[in-house]
Amino acid sequence: MMSTTPLIETHDLAVRYPNGALALHHVSFEIKSPSFMAIIGPNGSGKSTLVKTALGLIKPSRGTIKVMGYDSQKKSGKIRKLVRYVPQRDSIDHTVPVKVKDIVLMGRLLKKLPPRFATSKDIAAAKDALQQVNMEELWERPFPELSGGQRQRVLVARALAGEGSILVLDEPLAGTDVESQDLIVAALGRYHKENDVSIIMITHDLNPIHTLVEDVLLLKNTVIGLGEPCSIMDPELIKKVYGPTARIVEHSGHRYCMTHDSGIDRHD
Amino acid sequence: MIDIIQIIIESPFIQRALLASIMIAIIAAASGTFLVFRGLSFMASGVAHAALGGAALGIFLQDSGLVPWFDPILGALLFSILVAAFTGYAGESGITQKMEVAVGVSFALSMSFAVFLMYYIPPYKVPLIWGYLIGDILLLNDLDIIMLGSTTLLLAVITLMFNKEFVYVSVDMEGSTAHGMNARAYHYLMLIVSALAIALATKAVGAILVYAIMVAPAAASNELVKSVRGVIFAVFLIALFAELVGIAASFVLFVSPSAIAGILAALSYILALQIKRVRDRVDVEIDDFNLSPDDLNTTWNQAVANEHEDGHEH
Ligand SMILES: Nc1ncnc2c1ncn2[C@@H]1O[C@H](COP(=O)(O)OP(=O)(O)O)[C@@H](O)[C@H]1O
Ligand SMILES: [Mg+2]
Repeated sequence: MMSTTPLIETHDLAVRYPNGALALHHVSFEIKSPSFMAIIGPNGSGKSTLVKTALGLIKPSRGTIKVMGYDSQKKSGKIRKLVRYVPQRDSIDHTVPVKVKDIVLMGRLLKKLPPRFATSKDIAAAKDALQQVNMEELWERPFPELSGGQRQRVLVARALAGEGSILVLDEPLAGTDVESQDLIVAALGRYHKENDVSIIMITHDLNPIHTLVEDVLLLKNTVIGLGEPCSIMDPELIKKVYGPTARIVEHSGHRYCMTHDSGIDRHD
Repeated sequence: MIDIIQIIIESPFIQRALLASIMIAIIAAASGTFLVFRGLSFMASGVAHAALGGAALGIFLQDSGLVPWFDPILGALLFSILVAAFTGYAGESGITQKMEVAVGVSFALSMSFAVFLMYYIPPYKVPLIWGYLIGDILLLNDLDIIMLGSTTLLLAVITLMFNKEFVYVSVDMEGSTAHGMNARAYHYLMLIVSALAIALATKAVGAILVYAIMVAPAAASNELVKSVRGVIFAVFLIALFAELVGIAASFVLFVSPSAIAGILAALSYILALQIKRVRDRVDVEIDDFNLSPDDLNTTWNQAVANEHEDGHEH
């Protein structure tokens, strides 16, 4: 059997914030590459912390985490060349009057050196990505004027337009309506199928994407479960994380997870 | 018209005042705009007052003979860089509130320091310190113009070169870092170069006017203009207009040009808010019939949030 470099590999990872909050502990797992991976878990379960640590934005207090074989602390430069990242929505400012096109081009221009001029190839890629999420008409529109769902679509387009084999999206479906959700999920699914890329998506709700994802990591400050969507959608596991009111329902051959947890994560 | 040109040609202090007006308008356009984008307008005032503390230190060191070569302007520049670095450090994670607190603390510290040193400075030199607060654009000398000019040039070149990076840092610092940009370096570069320019502008026109000119036109433009470049240009025009009217008025009314310019700059913001309100009302009337569900949702949430805020106030 041929062994390939895993997408993410952690050993006994622990992350503690300066204020003393222990966001992650005893996290050890491995995900093959390429994958369409979902990270799920309730508010404050350390999902964002895990991806930020993987990108070298936060220092682990213990253990290691590697992305495509590169250590997140020592080789963050290599990792960042591979990654296209969409942070959680509350870390994106929406008062600066940038245009939609500036946001989408940002994903490509950030990988260049100053003065980061956009070539016609960059523009074509950006327009194509916007088309994927049905936003091509808003190319010249100011980003702050869009609705929450439209902004998320533009940010997903930023990831689709970029280069690099790993897309990391922190709650791209937060605060979106059904139409935006469907568009985003379809675009990501199509993109994963047609390209040799891995997608790591943090989500509150596995249901919209559970037919697409290959690996699901269930977190509650440590690894509670890891596996295919249907094995994670296990009543016992879900109750352990989301509490006794969570239920799993089966519908046309798929398991759906019902929890009372559908808010948006917010931390300052 | 001929008369005006005649007066300008014959009086070097007016020429210097006009040059300084243009340079300060450039500083407002380059620094003020990005500070307002980052929710850091308070930093302009923090730096301006820190410059005062630094100047007090300079006067003290010179006067006491401890460090005779230490010009007050060196102290002003040093203190303003310290404020920028401290603010930058507090805001490395991109959280605005933390930066505001850092500005507030360094503001208080440098003002206390200035007042403390005043006891050790001969009384006849104390007005020199307060001069930093009031300033007078008609009293500049050639050295002032050269210093102000070179920082303005530095600031303009850096902003032209790195405006994309400054925008990226303002919009999405975390994402920029994760894509491999050294967001931290640009974050500090932006704050420190702005601080230098603000400190020299403070020497030229006084802390109060610097605050008005750095913040109000940028805030006004950001309400109305819908592109980064447009905001920068609008800030330049508003700031220049306010200063020129201030200078002109000072001849007719015998008032401080800074006072007039400051009042005009502040009025520009109030005017912008009014225009925006009228414009929004018109927009709503047009859009009323084609709201998408997504939009409705946002409006509804905003309405609920507003109600909430109102409830708090009463
Ligand atoms: N910047 C921070 N400083 C201190 N504590 C934090 C910070 N960010 C997150 N935390 C804490 O770490 C835990 C995990 O947070 P996070 O990774 O954001 O969770 P999730 O993304 O799953 O909602 C939470 O308890 C949260 O309060
Ligand atoms: Mg999160």
